[in-house]
Amino acid sequence: MKKILIAILLALTLSPVFAATSMKVTVNGMVCSFCAQGIEKNLLKLDETKAVMVDLKNKVVIVEAKEGKTLNEKLIKEEITDSGYDVVSIQSIPQTVAQFKEQMKGKK
Amino acid sequence: MTMGDFSKTFREQTVNYALTPRDAIGITSLYMQTNNYSQSQLNNELTYTRLVKRWNMPEAQANIWFIGGVGETTGNYFNGTKATVSPGVQADYETTRLYASANARIYVADGITNNVVSARTGFSFYEANYDETQPWLIVEARRMSMVSTQYEVTPMLRLIHNRFFVEAGANLHGQPRLNFMYVY
Repeated sequence: MKKILIAILLALTLSPVFAATSMKVTVNGMVCSFCAQGIEKNLLKLDETKAVMVDLKNKVVIVEAKEGKTLNEKLIKEEITDSGYDVVSIQSIPQTVAQFKEQMKGKK
Repeated sequence: MTMGDFSKTFREQTVNYALTPRDAIGITSLYMQTNNYSQSQLNNELTYTRLVKRWNMPEAQANIWFIGGVGETTGNYFNGTKATVSPGVQADYETTRLYASANARIYVADGITNNVVSARTGFSFYEANYDETQPWLIVEARRMSMVSTQYEVTPMLRLIHNRFFVEAGANLHGQPRLNFMYVY
């Protein structure tokens, strides 16, 4: 019984379900921060959004969800398109914005 | 958004509000004068800016804009206040390291027609990420028919950081130039 409980606890703490869910959006047209700041502003207005990261070098936007909230892929795509940019692809990723930034720093 | 473009012969201030992602309205005040101060003109207008076409590419963005103004003009080389319209177009192309644009605007009032045409090109010293300040070297050639028949060439240092955009330089006659934009 004890082993089962420990196994369950380990599974829960290591499970990506408890990591914040984010979306990684590949965007065309992002060439400078002055132009792209509208993307960050509009995405931060969404209820589900905890944090946004715009990566000009890799042409991606990372949107992190608040705890317990689910990101709406269609809404994110609409906000980026309404900001004047084109969405190439969108995918869920397990990292938070902070984790993604660390990952990018590590690649430099 | 608030914008300003200041030099000895041309001073323009604009406040813009985006109605949609492609349309903005604003108020603009433009003052032009000749180098010897003999001739000057002040235009106060309601302006409309429309993003006519945008191309979003993986490594670049290109745009065509329409800018139009309706208002009034006064000057020391004509009598009274006249109604004025000022249609114009701008095309630009940029990557994270290169910039080019061309702009043409005509200012029309009864018996008076002036135009301002300009072209800019430049490069960034290095690629910068979203939360970094990016420096650029920009060179502009501009002709303002009310001011002079000559083109004014101005090299400028441009700094971009998020909501701030600043350009500072001096034309080949040593006259200072300052531009700024801020997005709320």
